Amino acid sequence: MNFTRLALRSITGNSFRSWVVVLCAMLVAGLALATSLILRGAENSLRLTIDRLGADIIVVPQGAETKVESALLMSTPASIWMPDNVVGEIASVPGVAVVSPQLYLSSLENASCCSVSSMFLVAYDPATDFTIEPWLEKKIGSRLSLGEAVGGMHVFVPLGEENIKIYGYLISLKANLEPTGTGLDQTMFFTFETARDIARLSPTLAVKPLEIPLNSISAALVRVTPGVDPHEVALEIFRKVSGVTPLESPNLFLSYRKQMTGLLHSNLIVLGITWGLSLVLIGLVFSMAANERRRELGVLRALGATRDFVLRSLLMEAGILALIGGGVGVVLTTFVVILFRTRIIQSLSLPFIFPSILSLLVQVVAGLALALLSVALAALVPAYRISYQDPANAMRE
Amino acid sequence: MIVLDNITKDYVLTKESIVKAVKGVSLEIQRGEFVVVTGRSGSGKTTILNLMAGLTRPTSGRVLLDGVDLWSLSDKKQSWLRSQKFSFVFQFPSLIPTLTVMENIVLPVIFNKDHWNSDAASQRAGELLKMVGLEEKRTVYPRQLSAGQQQRIVIARALMNHPEVILADEPTSDLDEQTEGEIVDLFTQIHREEHVTIVMVTHTSQLAAYGTRSITMAMGEIVN
Repeated sequence: MNFTRLALRSITGNSFRSWVVVLCAMLVAGLALATSLILRGAENSLRLTIDRLGADIIVVPQGAETKVESALLMSTPASIWMPDNVVGEIASVPGVAVVSPQLYLSSLENASCCSVSSMFLVAYDPATDFTIEPWLEKKIGSRLSLGEAVGGMHVFVPLGEENIKIYGYLISLKANLEPTGTGLDQTMFFTFETARDIARLSPTLAVKPLEIPLNSISAALVRVTPGVDPHEVALEIFRKVSGVTPLESPNLFLSYRKQMTGLLHSNLIVLGITWGLSLVLIGLVFSMAANERRRELGVLRALGATRDFVLRSLLMEAGILALIGGGVGVVLTTFVVILFRTRIIQSLSLPFIFPSILSLLVQVVAGLALALLSVALAALVPAYRISYQDPANAMRE
Repeated sequence: MIVLDNITKDYVLTKESIVKAVKGVSLEIQRGEFVVVTGRSGSGKTTILNLMAGLTRPTSGRVLLDGVDLWSLSDKKQSWLRSQKFSFVFQFPSLIPTLTVMENIVLPVIFNKDHWNSDAASQRAGELLKMVGLEEKRTVYPRQLSAGQQQRIVIARALMNHPEVILADEPTSDLDEQTEGEIVDLFTQIHREEHVTIVMVTHTSQLAAYGTRSITMAMGEIVN
């Protein structure tokens, strides 16, 4: 017989109390972990997307900011255009080092001439590009030729085929980019030359032609000269180039960040209410259990248990229950988030990337610590009260 | 030797209602005595017993154990003394319901670990089970025992740490006449063979004959 065994026997012998505490700890740890996983997953995803874009500023047609963000994050096909002469105007702004234009296109929806439906397509200018080309050089040691593409993590060649068909045009997939958890994972990148070739052949190959307005681009990625404040450059572009909106990298996806903040607030409110209620419930259940066990605890005191022993014994029981409940809560939450990741992303309209094992472990430990702290806090008052009671009084009816 | 020196104990129920459970009692109990304390319900017998072991603090007066004032000691030292010198047999079922008979008997060892290893504790518990005639019940839970059997196990537990003093509070009150006789015989046997000081509280005046000394209490005072 030892201290731990005594605590474990008491846990199994008080099943109602044990179940309530385990359930409360499960809820607290699970909710905390879910909130942390989803919000950190979304934040990581946004950060990776900004890193992937590699631009200090993205210049888009005025009023098309949200469409561009939705296209990049959620792979929502966007058809936005501005005259290509803005590239020269932007390049003339002091502090601009490189400007690279891009075309935003999409494959047809459920058409026999496209093996992928409504896919977001990005065409870039290899002469000025500073995002895809360096990655290609590093990964496959060559540039994309006509008819070749790279895809996001989830772009793949249909089973039994060798190419991806877009507007009846066969494209060879050369490589896949690392995951970002955003629409970029379902996006295909190819050169302007390939885009124009698709557009040229599409009237004969596709059920509907690919139209690229003449002398138009969708967006321009800007890299500023080292040492120059991107904010100043963005202001200058805004002043000098009409009909465009410069989006600075840190301010990208503002609407999504606002949505995340809203989600964070509602989750924190739910978590706060659950935490408060759990604390009260655990406190009540522990009071009831401690009261029921007054005699038993009084007997222990009579047999030689110190006040500290009784207090530690009760807190240890609480701790074990908190770890069991918290453990079940974090494991269940992790599985639910893994299994229903797509549904969660769809229902929240937020990008999401699953954290690294280390980050997941840190969040799991934090969830467990919250459960442990909550249960210990709730059990402390009744445990303290009963342990400091006169043993003779504790044993009286 | 246990000395109660002009002890009083008041229970404050409300501001206006104070119960004077013990009124200026002085008493000396020598090593090896078997003292039977009798008296009606509410006479202060149980309170006297609790005061002797430091289970409740006196309102005034001193409790001396071998010349040491019990209430001058810290909780830790008091608890240590309880585990070393005292054992209790209560009126109510006092076995821990979530532990088996064997685990209940070795329970006091937790608080007296320096003197025991687990083999020695198991051996001692086995001997005590044999002594109380319930060897075959070692793995059962208290709810599976009769009231008399439970009280025998409590007595075995009380002997586990080789106590100097056993304080028994109405140990036979819930038992039938035959079992009552068996339990009192067990106390007599323990007193004779283990040379343990026993203070037994009872409302049955006939049991006074079993002790080496008898004390009668009424209204919080020793009257005889």
